[in-house]
Amino acid sequence: MSVRVGSTRRNFVTVTGAAAALALAGNLPDLDFAKAGATGGVDRRDPFTLGVASGDPLPDAVVIWTRLAPEPLAPFGGMDRRPVEVQWQLAEDEQFHRVVRHGTTQARPESSHSVHVDVQGLRPWRHYWYRFRVGNQVSPVGRTRTAPAYDQSVPVMSMAFASCQAWWEGWYTAYADMARREHDVVFFLGDYIYEFGIDRGVRPHSNEDYVTRQTVTLDEYRNRYASYKMDPDLQAAHASAPWVVTVDDHEVVDNWADEAHPSAPPAQFLVRRANAFRAYWEHMPLRLAQLPNGPDMQLYRRIRYGRLAEFSVLDTRQYRSDQAYGDGSKFPGPDVLDPTRTLTGDEQERWLLDGWTASQARWNVLAQQNALARLDVKDGPELLVPMDTWDGYAASRDRVLGGAHQRKIRNLVSIGGDLHRSVASDLKLDFANPDSPTVGSEFVGTSISSGLDGMDLDPGGLTLLRENPHIKYGNFQRGYVSCTITPRQWISDYRVVDRVTVPNGTVSTRAKLLVEDGRPGIRVVAGDPAPHRAPARYGAGSPATT
Amino acid sequence: MNRSALVLIGTAVATVAVSSAGYSVSGRPSPVQVSTNPQQLSVVGLPCFPGNLTLTMTNTGTESLYADLTLSPTGPLQLSRELFSSWLPAVEPDQPVSAPVEVRVPRDTHSGQYSIDLEVDRTKVTVPVQVNPLPPKGPGSNVALGEQATASSTHGNFALCGAVDGDNDSEHWDTLTGWNDGTRAVFPDTYDVALAEPTTIDRVELYTLDSIRYPAAANGLRDWDVQVRSGGGAWTTVASVRGNTAGHVTSTFTPTQADAVRILALAGNGNTYSRIVELEVYDS
Repeated sequence: MSVRVGSTRRNFVTVTGAAAALALAGNLPDLDFAKAGATGGVDRRDPFTLGVASGDPLPDAVVIWTRLAPEPLAPFGGMDRRPVEVQWQLAEDEQFHRVVRHGTTQARPESSHSVHVDVQGLRPWRHYWYRFRVGNQVSPVGRTRTAPAYDQSVPVMSMAFASCQAWWEGWYTAYADMARREHDVVFFLGDYIYEFGIDRGVRPHSNEDYVTRQTVTLDEYRNRYASYKMDPDLQAAHASAPWVVTVDDHEVVDNWADEAHPSAPPAQFLVRRANAFRAYWEHMPLRLAQLPNGPDMQLYRRIRYGRLAEFSVLDTRQYRSDQAYGDGSKFPGPDVLDPTRTLTGDEQERWLLDGWTASQARWNVLAQQNALARLDVKDGPELLVPMDTWDGYAASRDRVLGGAHQRKIRNLVSIGGDLHRSVASDLKLDFANPDSPTVGSEFVGTSISSGLDGMDLDPGGLTLLRENPHIKYGNFQRGYVSCTITPRQWISDYRVVDRVTVPNGTVSTRAKLLVEDGRPGIRVVAGDPAPHRAPARYGAGSPATT
Repeated sequence: MNRSALVLIGTAVATVAVSSAGYSVSGRPSPVQVSTNPQQLSVVGLPCFPGNLTLTMTNTGTESLYADLTLSPTGPLQLSRELFSSWLPAVEPDQPVSAPVEVRVPRDTHSGQYSIDLEVDRTKVTVPVQVNPLPPKGPGSNVALGEQATASSTHGNFALCGAVDGDNDSEHWDTLTGWNDGTRAVFPDTYDVALAEPTTIDRVELYTLDSIRYPAAANGLRDWDVQVRSGGGAWTTVASVRGNTAGHVTSTFTPTQADAVRILALAGNGNTYSRIVELEVYDS
């Protein structure tokens, strides 16, 4: 990394506040960022072992993040329990010739010495580069990009989304590919960590003591995040683009619902949830608005990309009714249609629908955790659907999809995860009736690594394609989805890894799927969509090719 | 000079600083009470026989807070955790928040009195730890008790050492007193115990799951080989059990020198998991 550049000094001197900040940090302003003298608190050990990140871009602001952890798996990350001064810079160029914002903040022990700086006063739809310094240690450089101005016409944006990164089940080869493609923004849709203990895996150290225990206490969740974030490919993906993150279940515990989990009575579970949320916030590039208050965290929020796209990021865990019929895959009996049951909670549902009413965006995107589309997982006439996805909350789904339909929402697109498989679907007003209107399009992305290598189509994937005519594409390999969005069309490029159980897998495009402006539904532009699909038995289903 | 840098002078830069409120202010008594169960602990120098301590923090104050409880052992004590951090709600009645810690000592530890210092905020608690002499392993004693176990896999809800913890009662299955492998319906599984020293053995007693709720005929181990290893050589089968439906099976064999004993689990009743409540090995 080349960071010794002459203009840095002048920027330090001339930008208001720099002198004061440097004085606080005990530094002389005429030294380069990369070689200035030490501040207290951190010794020669590298404190930036968990990388850098940015997130939640606005037209004029972005959050930049790091955490000081010279020994990431030791208590307190190997830090003394006192605040440490951290300097940061944000520049218009990768060499930091043009530093436009900088400052000093404190990494505090009660936040695991994490740093979240909400850098404001930035210009819309611009790339920036950022870095941190503690003493004479300089962090890796992160690249980020602000969102466009709200009224800006955006000719094209690139976006990636990912989910489910079971560390011990695979190498993060998909993230190396994601980093190389340098998207404008990355959405992470849940299962950043897994809370349960494991005792073997495909990676070295998969049976170390710290991974064999389930996470319950705050120190255990912090340790789990650190163990995941040490991965260099994950760090590269964070450093390549701003991330917008939300949780699914495993950030807390498998299939939790609001205050309910079979492992503990609610009061005890809420302590665990509070611990999980605290560690989550500490390790994610989130704003102070998302800082948890005990077991509560305001995570659903809207991210806008000019007139091109508006992303409604959902939280489908914190406010949901408990799973119907004891969870698992069941026949969707009357409980799933019970209008008093909800996946989003009433307030979030109202926020979502009101937001759509006001939206001027070409693409209205639901960034959520699993699949909105119905997933009949049973061959034959019997209907079995997962109780943990929107299928188990059909009344809630009807209000969302029906609400979008009533409001004539322009180009509704859902992106999701959780399934550890790629599934692209037409979103139907009534999934039981293939002739009912298609009200939107859904891209569910596969896991980064959860589930080991997988295969092109497994028996479960074949069943999904056979039983669900609205599903236009399925794949059971690992990977992520890289999207190119223009006013005219949305292209989802399903990037899959041939093998994640070895460190040197290769990544390729399995399929390119298209949604056109004003024409809801998935069209396949490249790649064999469903090679094993049985001949259409439903009559009305249109061929999934162009 | 960089123009954009000048233009931006004076615009706001907000730093997200997390309030330290919730951490008690210096000088006041800490609202966090600390207790342990038991209040004092006895351990022996066996690798798979930890002393189990439950740590409890209780917030007696009026504001919820995050607390870090540090554990500092004296002498040779080895702890499974040196930190217990948690959110502690301020609720009425007070809500205790607990976490387990395992305490081990090396085999050659001198018996005597040691301690663990617990500290949260300015509250300090000392837990006395008595290290007892190793139990004598003479003729007729179980030489597998507390010795180092290894397994092909262990289910996340169970403890590797559970099958050498001295508790062979299947009714205690729910309290981590047995071993359960981690690969459902996949066989074989192995469960090994390394003996403290080469020993001539002639009998292995295996307790598989056999409780009122989970009878062995439906949940216990069905087929297995008893194997021994000596001097770094290969595993040798000394006894075989097939078609078992009982909870307790004794295998006797010609006295054999062994460094380690293995149960090679070949099949379970119900074809799900290998489950061993206790594995006992006796010298001749």
